[in-house]
Amino acid sequence: MDPVSLRRRIGYVIQQIGLFPHMTVKENIGLIPRLEKWKDEDISLRIEELLTLVALPPDLFSSRYPNQLSGGQQQRVGLARALVMDPPLLLMDEPFGALDPLLRMQLQNEFLSIKTKLDKTIVFVTHDIEESFILADRIGVMHAGKMIQIGTPSELLFEPENEIVSKIIGSENKFKAIRFLQAKDVMIPLNNNCLIENEISCKETIEKMISNKIEMCIIKKSNKEIAQVSLIELLNIMELDRSISDFGNKLLIVSPDDTLSSIILLLKTSKDSMAVVMEKEKILGIVRINSVLLNLL
Amino acid sequence: MFSIALIISIFIGVALAILVHNNPRLANVWFNVLNVVETIPELALFIFLLPILGLGERPTIAACIAYSILPIMRNAYTGLAYVSSEYVEIATAMGLTKNEILLKIRFPMALPLISGGVRVAVVYIMGIVTLGGLIAAGGLGVPLQAGIYRYDIPAIIIAALWVGTLGVFFDFIAWIIENRLARRYNPW
Repeated sequence: MDPVSLRRRIGYVIQQIGLFPHMTVKENIGLIPRLEKWKDEDISLRIEELLTLVALPPDLFSSRYPNQLSGGQQQRVGLARALVMDPPLLLMDEPFGALDPLLRMQLQNEFLSIKTKLDKTIVFVTHDIEESFILADRIGVMHAGKMIQIGTPSELLFEPENEIVSKIIGSENKFKAIRFLQAKDVMIPLNNNCLIENEISCKETIEKMISNKIEMCIIKKSNKEIAQVSLIELLNIMELDRSISDFGNKLLIVSPDDTLSSIILLLKTSKDSMAVVMEKEKILGIVRINSVLLNLL
Repeated sequence: MFSIALIISIFIGVALAILVHNNPRLANVWFNVLNVVETIPELALFIFLLPILGLGERPTIAACIAYSILPIMRNAYTGLAYVSSEYVEIATAMGLTKNEILLKIRFPMALPLISGGVRVAVVYIMGIVTLGGLIAAGGLGVPLQAGIYRYDIPAIIIAALWVGTLGVFFDFIAWIIENRLARRYNPW
């Protein structure tokens, strides 16, 4: 394959940013489209769209030169330039490495929101393990030129392939990860046998639980109200014909993207020991604080 | 005469620089040839050129070009070759071809250096054009030479002042242009 056309289909962002100093922001972003002979109005539309995406007002920034921009602004232009051909793949080589910590955090947050809007495969190289935990869906750990392990942040944290991975990830300091880990990383997936959605009686519930050999079940009363009940509690109930939805202890509901630290805080205030993870009316699993904390130590 | 010589030598100098840039092995050969030309005194060069081009403007322009190609070409070559590798790398990675890099990245970034070379050439050409008065090229060289022949000190001084002022003036203009380009194309 022709390397030039291949490269034009990969967005490339590097640490040194590398905006061309003799071109304005507009010219920098529009360089490849111009070489590809796009129409002028298409180019300016695309540039406006991209500058808006990276939170730089086009009328203020498009005719500036790179040396008139701050480091963070330059890197945003760099990102816009990489995206201009709408490449299916984006390659980012330590893009935030040269920025001060505060700015880096801000750009990381912006990157996260842009990432969901873009819906592209992004290969992001970094030496900063925290950064990878914050930004990545999947992390590949490389050592001495070899890919040692690829996995989600929680997989790397809880099931490191070998010593090297656990050292790089800092497995002995897992508790630090409560800032990055999300509900979906630490939840116990819900077994459908444990879920009761329809209005059945207590008696039926007990029978169901015994036949499925489970001690506890989740009752979905409505999309906003989820409760939990244990077999022992049910066996103490006298009126076995009453509907199950009259019983149970209400559970906290969190979304899969909530961080572990925020969940722990919520549970601390409500004095509960577990929360249920829900996404769009569907129960994904439960987070039991005891097991989570045990895993982190 | 002055401007014709300057324009032609800019043209040839930059073209040679690009040629040499694409084929670096030629660089030393070319620079050596031009260095040799540069060491020939102007008067001697006129003597070489007179039988070929006759008297008047043409040998003067040819001599101007022969002298001013070197500074222009050397600066242009340096400018093209020493564009920071960072920019060349990112341009390659973005998918620019070699020629596109030359045209869109290297050449504009080399402009300040090229114009520096042109500025040197401007001063060279001033001197040679004046000397052209000797071989019937006209211009300010004529009163200067006439003054020298007649030992007419005031005439020499006035003509020399004129030439000097013009030289300073052109150099000043070239300096302004160079500065502008430097700010526009290499803004640090």
